[in-house]
Amino acid sequence: MESPPRLSNRRALSRALTRASRASVADCLAAVASSPHDPATRIGITGPPGAGKSTLIARLAATRLEARARMAVLAIDPTSPISRGSILGDRIRMDTVAEHPGLYIRSIPSRNAHDGLADNICEMLMVLDKHGFDEVILETVGVGQADYEIRNLVDTVVLVLVPESGDAVQAMKAGILETADIYVVNKCDCAGAEQMLHDIRSVVDYRHVEPGEWRPPVLSASITDDSIAELDEAINAHSLWRDDHNDADLHRRARLRYHVESLMSRRVAELFDEARSDLLQRPIREVYAELARKLGEVL
Amino acid sequence: MSLKGKRILIAKPGLDGHDVGAKIITLALRDAGADVIYTGLRKSPDYIARVAADEDVDAVGLSILSGSHHTLLAQTLDELAKLGAANIGVFIGGTIAPQDTQALLEMGALGVFTSEMSLNDTLSALEAALS
Repeated sequence: MESPPRLSNRRALSRALTRASRASVADCLAAVASSPHDPATRIGITGPPGAGKSTLIARLAATRLEARARMAVLAIDPTSPISRGSILGDRIRMDTVAEHPGLYIRSIPSRNAHDGLADNICEMLMVLDKHGFDEVILETVGVGQADYEIRNLVDTVVLVLVPESGDAVQAMKAGILETADIYVVNKCDCAGAEQMLHDIRSVVDYRHVEPGEWRPPVLSASITDDSIAELDEAINAHSLWRDDHNDADLHRRARLRYHVESLMSRRVAELFDEARSDLLQRPIREVYAELARKLGEVL
Repeated sequence: MSLKGKRILIAKPGLDGHDVGAKIITLALRDAGADVIYTGLRKSPDYIARVAADEDVDAVGLSILSGSHHTLLAQTLDELAKLGAANIGVFIGGTIAPQDTQALLEMGALGVFTSEMSLNDTLSALEAALS
């Protein structure tokens, strides 16, 4: 194996990510105050469990590294609600590209987050911004229909589905299916792929799109074809479209709002953990008032 | 017993192709509250060290059934040091002859856990070593 970097300070980066992932809400707030860096371009890859997100990311990263020096992948897996432990299994699917000297992969447990993301994910993304990556790929845990918060954190959302993901009615429902910039029907060599492609296309194409608005492409992919080039190009096309059409201020506000919401939600979890055991013996209005009062204290 | 918040890499160095033990310890560590990454089969010590350093784990567990545990431990410790990650502890599991344990500990292994040990004893010893 080549000795690692082009990423010169790799070990420092990995330590900094650990600190960011474990920081209390007070520490997070203190860290945000220090100089912000321009965010790296971010691609979000989301979809149901077993859709092939990690394998797709490995192939996508290999392709995009041909044109970029430094890329990072943050891959989130679920924390067990029972033991609070986790098995972080995304990396094992990324073997083929893991030894590329320009690639940094980090596995992250979701902890208390219930939105497909992870505690302190904003802080970890900020660490990557500071280390000057050309592009960051963020992989959510396997998600359901309503986990679309990733949209606030990334520039391009890729939703990966498989032939078993459901029928046309499922595809018409609200939530994540409305918010992707690019759709990929993965494992398209499996039975039912044509129907799935047709169903997603009919829903996406039915949507009214103003002239100049982004019309999300619906791609098919499998491990055996060269569909990754198509996805690579679709991401580039969306990036170009964003350069001309994206409302940067609106996007900045959405990111800020998500960041504040996630800090507050973590703070509530911290307060429950710190609270006396009799707190939850009291009526709901009192519990609410007590938490709201504590939340109001400046950290 | 709790390994809550600990990050642990379970790795299979060398050519032996059996990872039932590695998978059992991976599940047991998760159930004890740890965040566990498994490398998959047939990884080199330099690959394992790089993953450990990038993932900033608290410890690496090498699952070895081939008998080459001395060499693989030495190489893994060496590679970790090269990456500025000598603070990451390395423990050994698998088929280890009893007379080899002391030598492995002297080389710097955090612990040696053979397949004869109960999972509970293994987890308790690991928890003590990492606290």
